[in-house]
Amino acid sequence: MNRSDLYSLTPLLILSSAAILNFFSISIKRNHKVIFAITVLSLIGDFIFLTSYSLYHQQHIDPLLVVDGFGIFNIGLILLTTLVVALMSYAYFEQREERKEEYYILLILAALGACIMVISKHFVSFFLGLEVLSVSLYSLIAYLRTRERSDEAGIKYLILAAFSSAFLLFGMSLIYATTGKMDFGGIGYYLTTTQDIPLIMMAGLGMLIVGAGFKLGVVPFHMWTPDVYEGAPTPVTAFIATVSKGGMIALLVRFFNAINGYQYESFTNLFTVLSIASMFVGNILALRQTNLKRILAYSSISHIGYLLVAFLSGGSMGAQATTFYLVAYFITTLGAFGIIATLSDQHRDAELIDDYRGLLWRRPLTAVAFSAMLLSLAGIPLTAGFIAKFYVITAGIGTQHWLLVFCLVVNSVIGLYYYIKIIAVMFDQKLQIKSAKELHPLVYVISSVTIAVLAVFLFWLGVSPEGMLSLIDDVI
Amino acid sequence: MNITFIIASFVAVLATIMAITRYNLIHALLYLVISFLSIAIVFFVLGAPFVAALEIIVYAGAIVVLIIFVIMMLNLKEESVEQERIWFSRKVILGPSILSIVLLGELIYILLSHETTALTTQAVDAKSVGLSLYGPYIIGVELSGLLLMSGVVGAYHLGRQKKKVQHRFLENQTT
Repeated sequence: MNRSDLYSLTPLLILSSAAILNFFSISIKRNHKVIFAITVLSLIGDFIFLTSYSLYHQQHIDPLLVVDGFGIFNIGLILLTTLVVALMSYAYFEQREERKEEYYILLILAALGACIMVISKHFVSFFLGLEVLSVSLYSLIAYLRTRERSDEAGIKYLILAAFSSAFLLFGMSLIYATTGKMDFGGIGYYLTTTQDIPLIMMAGLGMLIVGAGFKLGVVPFHMWTPDVYEGAPTPVTAFIATVSKGGMIALLVRFFNAINGYQYESFTNLFTVLSIASMFVGNILALRQTNLKRILAYSSISHIGYLLVAFLSGGSMGAQATTFYLVAYFITTLGAFGIIATLSDQHRDAELIDDYRGLLWRRPLTAVAFSAMLLSLAGIPLTAGFIAKFYVITAGIGTQHWLLVFCLVVNSVIGLYYYIKIIAVMFDQKLQIKSAKELHPLVYVISSVTIAVLAVFLFWLGVSPEGMLSLIDDVI
Repeated sequence: MNITFIIASFVAVLATIMAITRYNLIHALLYLVISFLSIAIVFFVLGAPFVAALEIIVYAGAIVVLIIFVIMMLNLKEESVEQERIWFSRKVILGPSILSIVLLGELIYILLSHETTALTTQAVDAKSVGLSLYGPYIIGVELSGLLLMSGVVGAYHLGRQKKKVQHRFLENQTT
């Protein structure tokens, strides 16, 4: 490893040192403020360092990693998302009597695992990154030990994630048995030398897709999603919905480009089925839910279905649409969960629809921001969600995926119903007076500013997406 | 050599099935040890003596001892065995096992239908394992360290016990 390798790995080094620094800081004295400050500062510093790279940076750290524009963009996205999650965590955990400090170590490590995934070009680094992410998530999901559902969600995720890791490993070993290679480039090269994929490798790739599908929560691997979303602390839910899924999508894009998977009919058919099933099942199951976290869980299943439409289009247009959709989806989801986190009180999360009855008259700004997030999830013009969906449809039509585009349009209409239902409840004029213990005002300022910034980004991307689009165009 | 491989892997599969289906935890553990030992032989036959030794030292040695400690701490009684017997009734496992056997048959068909390349066994000794771990794969080693760190921090947080309060009146006072 030489100096330029180290230079390319510095963002990861900063993250891991931040985790270790937190570790030592706890051993000296437990202080929520100090840990929070270290976490936020290191994430900001890391992002600033990341912007010093050129967009055309390309550094292969053989055999495991490759730091290129696509990877740097995704690392930046992960860092900013983690920063937002950390910012909304402070107010959320300050009002709970659990020990809060370990949370930030686990959060940083989970982000590190996701960063490794988006720059890996080898099965070893892919698997290790995935495991760092998953192992941190097990404890993050069950973090609030006083709640019963937290434990249940943690155990559920532990067993299912371990099971999907086993699938992933078996798939990798079958691929290795055929190709004798573990790096994506080598597997791609092997595939160019054969006429069609041997059956045994097909089985391996299928198992790989099972493992990846579990992480993404696509139908039929979606069973864990609503329970885990409901049981996990709200900031952690936001993290699972964004970073954990986005990292896997970025990895799939890289892997499929390396092995040129779009030319094989069997894979495109498989992903078409997954995508259509996710869209319909997610949206239809969301219709009858009364728990907001569960609604967002089912909505995230259907959103991954939309994302797969862009992913299936392939080529640079597909990758562009996928990345833009990820950015828009990250902003919207973070905003929605951020608002749930700020409205939560000491004992439970504000997750029932009834908690939002008449929110507009109690906290008008929050209600407006929340409506904006929901409208963006539904894909209404002027929001980032609209532009993202527009690009997905353009990419789908450009590659003649008519069935997928048709399903997407039908599902957008179904989805509109439950998003509008929540907004209608917020406008309902039935006053409920709830007296929550007032925290230090600064705590609220942090969360409110975070949500305001997210809302501004939401409209900014919705009105003038050119800047973001040209940036994405440059890195791909 | 081939016959050694087949026998060892057969023993491994059988021992693992037995380990899953035993009601008595210690019996299950003994089968697990046999499974580890036979996997070690598989590694040895495939030309990885160092990994075979590690498998015995780490899994059959250290991890099994840890599991014994956990069993001692859990202090499971007859009722839990009975509970497990009810959960693991023939009616419950019938459906899943039929489906898994179908999948297993498919997998065996796939494996048999495909010509796999013959194994060229060359022993990988400890030195070359070390050289590649601390050479090109150093990032992997560091990542495993971080993986363990997240595991330790998580286990510490989740396993921390609340202070036990002896008397219910005292409990009311303290809260």
